[in-house]
Amino acid sequence: MAAAEARPGGRRRCRRLEGEAARAVLGAADTLLFDCDGVLWRGEAALGGAAAALGRLAAAGKRLCYVTNNSSRTRQAYGEKLRRLGFPPATPRHVFGSAYCAARFLRQALPPGAAAYVLGGPALAAELREAGVPHLEPGPAALPGPAPADWARAPLDPAVRAVLVGFDEHFSYAKLCQALRYLLRGPDCLLVATNRDHRLPLEGGAAIPGTGCLVKAVETAAEREAFIVGKPNRYMFDCVASEFDIDPARTIMVGDRLDTDILMGNTCGLTTLLTLTGVTTLEELEGLWKSQKTSHFSWVTWK
Amino acid sequence: CHRPGGRRDSCRRLSGAGLREVLGPAQGLLFDCDGVLWAGERAVPGAPELLERLQRCGKAALFVSNNSRRSVAELELRFSRLGFRGVRAEHVFSSALCSALFLRQRGDGGGLVFVLGGEGLRGEVRAAGLRLAGEGEPGGEAVRAVLVGYDEDFTFGKLAQACGYLRDPRCLLVATDPDPCRFPLCLSLPPGTGSLTAAVETASGRKALVVGKPNTYMFECIVERFGVDPSRTLMVGDRLETDILFGKNCGLSTILTLTGVSRLEEAQAYMASDSAAAKDMVPHYYVDSIADLIPGLDE
Repeated sequence: MAAAEARPGGRRRCRRLEGEAARAVLGAADTLLFDCDGVLWRGEAALGGAAAALGRLAAAGKRLCYVTNNSSRTRQAYGEKLRRLGFPPATPRHVFGSAYCAARFLRQALPPGAAAYVLGGPALAAELREAGVPHLEPGPAALPGPAPADWARAPLDPAVRAVLVGFDEHFSYAKLCQALRYLLRGPDCLLVATNRDHRLPLEGGAAIPGTGCLVKAVETAAEREAFIVGKPNRYMFDCVASEFDIDPARTIMVGDRLDTDILMGNTCGLTTLLTLTGVTTLEELEGLWKSQKTSHFSWVTWK
Repeated sequence: CHRPGGRRDSCRRLSGAGLREVLGPAQGLLFDCDGVLWAGERAVPGAPELLERLQRCGKAALFVSNNSRRSVAELELRFSRLGFRGVRAEHVFSSALCSALFLRQRGDGGGLVFVLGGEGLRGEVRAAGLRLAGEGEPGGEAVRAVLVGYDEDFTFGKLAQACGYLRDPRCLLVATDPDPCRFPLCLSLPPGTGSLTAAVETASGRKALVVGKPNTYMFECIVERFGVDPSRTLMVGDRLETDILFGKNCGLSTILTLTGVSRLEEAQAYMASDSAAAKDMVPHYYVDSIADLIPGLDE
């Protein structure tokens, strides 16, 4: 079966990728971009056949990059996880996590000396440090006093000109309050978030709430929309393209989510490949087909 | 107030003879609390006197609030502390109380309720005869509903826990109110239940049943207890999107007071709009403060 083809004036087709067609599609590509959760692994368990498949692609001289919305690890840590789970060795340069990309975005978007108030974890803080972006250290925060009047009196750092929302296991009402106060201080306080994923899949079919939930809480309270660094927005692809000499026509985006991986890939003019090992099920896919929504990707399961 | 092209009776300032015309036939008034009767810890000047006059004229005064932080018993004390006389708990319909009533009505008697909220909300749920899920409880009885209210102790862990319960499609997701911000007129607005509900909805992929205004369930509770006639009842509130729309949804005439969240310009903008949804948020009347209603009542 062939990969998705663009037809003039029409929707692209969606086909299962196997055999001869798989060889043709992969042969025509120089670079493959991989989502990680639900594509290469679930939690700490590598998905069967994934490491071997990537090994063969690397051996065939393909450039492999990793593009993940997960903001809970640094590029360094992703490199180590790839190695630990048996994937071909990857330098941090090949890893584009939303934490790293958010730090890059803020470095360019914040005026000199301005800082970010961060709802996130240590990885996000580490990437901000590495990028030289001043920020308030994230972590648990208690409400400064029992009554709203107390909260209004707690000091705000005058240097803060952005609120950054990432995956935050210490997310709390108190931190939501602080974020809101910074955002209400003026429209020139940026609201940036790493991604909108609703859920983070873990091994064994379990899942925990994703960063998207926290972003929604902040957006609802502040009555404004965040700039989203992660997929499906194209910022992370632009980071990849600024690092490597990428030809979209010879690049494949591999992911498990239609509304992030596949959408970004299509928007950026890449060939897109959906794997059914993650969030999207065959039933959803068939439902989409029947509903005539634009489905323009190929799909495959690791073999 | 000029009425370009909208409803004939839209957004009229209530004063003088108009006041008597409107208040005379009314049997009762429903009041929102925050921004109407008080702002923070101070009663709106003249508000206690207005309630006293209503009592003397034999008109009912009932209270309908989206605030899910306090139990109605605590609210009764608050009324008293802020100088309002004669307001009893049974006159007060908070979203905490009504959410508990809603859950009792919808439930089949069994099961636990997982509450994201403070002690006021938890107390109302218990008072309705429902049982609460503890935190970190292993196995045991099924959780039949997740109730999201104003929760200063909201954490990621509780969000994850709520999602676990909501994986069972029979588990209800209920929210006390939709408000994104909690207080009017504060320099820093604490986030409201609406923002926490958004997080739970996003994580679980479910839509919450929202008890509070502008939805009409709280009015059903009022009718159930006091049998009010919508055509003889006025709704008084400060928020167009909540109170005034609630009044419209329940078939009540509405009075906007300007001591709270919404500005007159916003009401006028809705009036000038083409959308039906906007027109639903135009009050029939407005006053600068509810103290302005006093001259409309007999001595």
